[in-house]
Amino acid sequence: MIGTVDALAFAGPNLFGPAQTENELLSGPGAAGIDLTVAVTGRPLDYRLEAGNDGVAACAAEHPESVRGLARVDPNRPDAAAELRRCLETLRLSGLFLHPWEEVFQINDPRVGPVLRVAAESGCPVVVAAGHPWVSEPLQIADVACRHPETTFVLTNGGQFNISGLGQTDARLALERAANTVLTTTGVYRQDFIESVVGEFGAHRVMYAGGSPHFDRSYELLRVTEASLPPDDRDMLRAGTARAVFGL
Amino acid sequence: MSILPDVDDILDGHTHVDEVPALGWIDPPGKLVALLDEAGIRQAVVMTYTEYPGYNPQALDYLAQVVGRYPDRLIGFVRVHPWYQEEMPRIIDRALGELGMKGVKLHPVGTLDHPAGPSTLRVLELAAERNAPVLFHCGDEPMTTPLAIAEAARRVPEATVILGHMGGFFHVREAIEVAERLPNVVLETSAMPYPAAIREAVQRIGADRVIYGSDGPGCPPRLEIRKVIAAGLDTEAQRAVLGANMRRLLAAVRA
Repeated sequence: MIGTVDALAFAGPNLFGPAQTENELLSGPGAAGIDLTVAVTGRPLDYRLEAGNDGVAACAAEHPESVRGLARVDPNRPDAAAELRRCLETLRLSGLFLHPWEEVFQINDPRVGPVLRVAAESGCPVVVAAGHPWVSEPLQIADVACRHPETTFVLTNGGQFNISGLGQTDARLALERAANTVLTTTGVYRQDFIESVVGEFGAHRVMYAGGSPHFDRSYELLRVTEASLPPDDRDMLRAGTARAVFGL
Repeated sequence: MSILPDVDDILDGHTHVDEVPALGWIDPPGKLVALLDEAGIRQAVVMTYTEYPGYNPQALDYLAQVVGRYPDRLIGFVRVHPWYQEEMPRIIDRALGELGMKGVKLHPVGTLDHPAGPSTLRVLELAAERNAPVLFHCGDEPMTTPLAIAEAARRVPEATVILGHMGGFFHVREAIEVAERLPNVVLETSAMPYPAAIREAVQRIGADRVIYGSDGPGCPPRLEIRKVIAAGLDTEAQRAVLGANMRRLLAAVRA
């Protein structure tokens, strides 16, 4: 079964922008033709991620056919590794999400090491909010991915936010340098970047993510369905890559 | 035939022809025209990726040749490097006069010339003398943000300033606010990934100052039209955004 997997959506309150309720998380994908959504908590207004992880886990447990959850932790906190263990072992979440811009750390800073070691031990993927200057540049993520070759690192937004295309070479170099990296298609500038990356590195290195509520999940899906790619590659972007990475 | 049955006169306000191996962008005119055909787009504003006369002393003649090959489909905007001040009056005169181009493109990331610097302001003044719009790349990088370009638009109020990409990923709210404050600013939708922002822009500044652009062929014109459709505008506003507004701007240009 291929279907469509949205590899990243944010749920619950969000200190930094638009929020998405559980109802919106559950009802939006069906209208957009999405079968399964990988969800993570937004940044709660009280700065504590534990309750958000609990909420995502409860939603995934209640709707296992349509929602899977990621654990979000703040590596600046001394209990980050313990919280990740709780999320993976008790809450049964499917991976780790790190947002270096919102939690304020560089992805390749040594303080991230403890949570990455937990991720490696459990064999779960690590999704990184990518493309933010100084903290989650594609080559910074590749740097840490090379130090954890057993872990798959998912770089959101094609690895870069730049509407001049100036980040695309770094994103390509990240894919080249670290074979354990995968890009999402959210908001990517220039469709031919997605198409050429698939051609160069393979469809197993790219996956659709709607990025809601900041991005429009329906419009973002068009980047994949309208891509000039062979049908098998489009199917990989729609679902195949995400199913492999998240073990769905 | 357009992908929109009730809009048959779409004008894409932002496309490119050029070949830049360093960026991997090889976009000859045939590639662009094929994508316009696929999307049912009648005409497009087209510009190079590279600046004239530096970095590319052939850019103007190349663009003129391309437009000459597709005179019913492509409308040229000359992309200039503002530092060439001595030559600039002659460049603008030739491009907008002899060569029949209809506007100017500026990309401060490439030229490293601040929008509010004297060289760029002079380009705006020269364009305004012919009532020709100036399309800025407007994104998240230094010297391209809406507030930086607003400093130019405020200093040359007689110039029509188009914010291409309407603020990119993280400056869209500012782009709309700048357009609210400055009546000579127009927003252009290409590559900016939020359909809802197009709807908000139309609600706040009116449908007559928002124009569709794709930044094709890298960003497919058809996909970018679907973004405008996803904005959920009424038919009249959709017609304005998808072509009528840019046609009105171009019709006012004096050769």
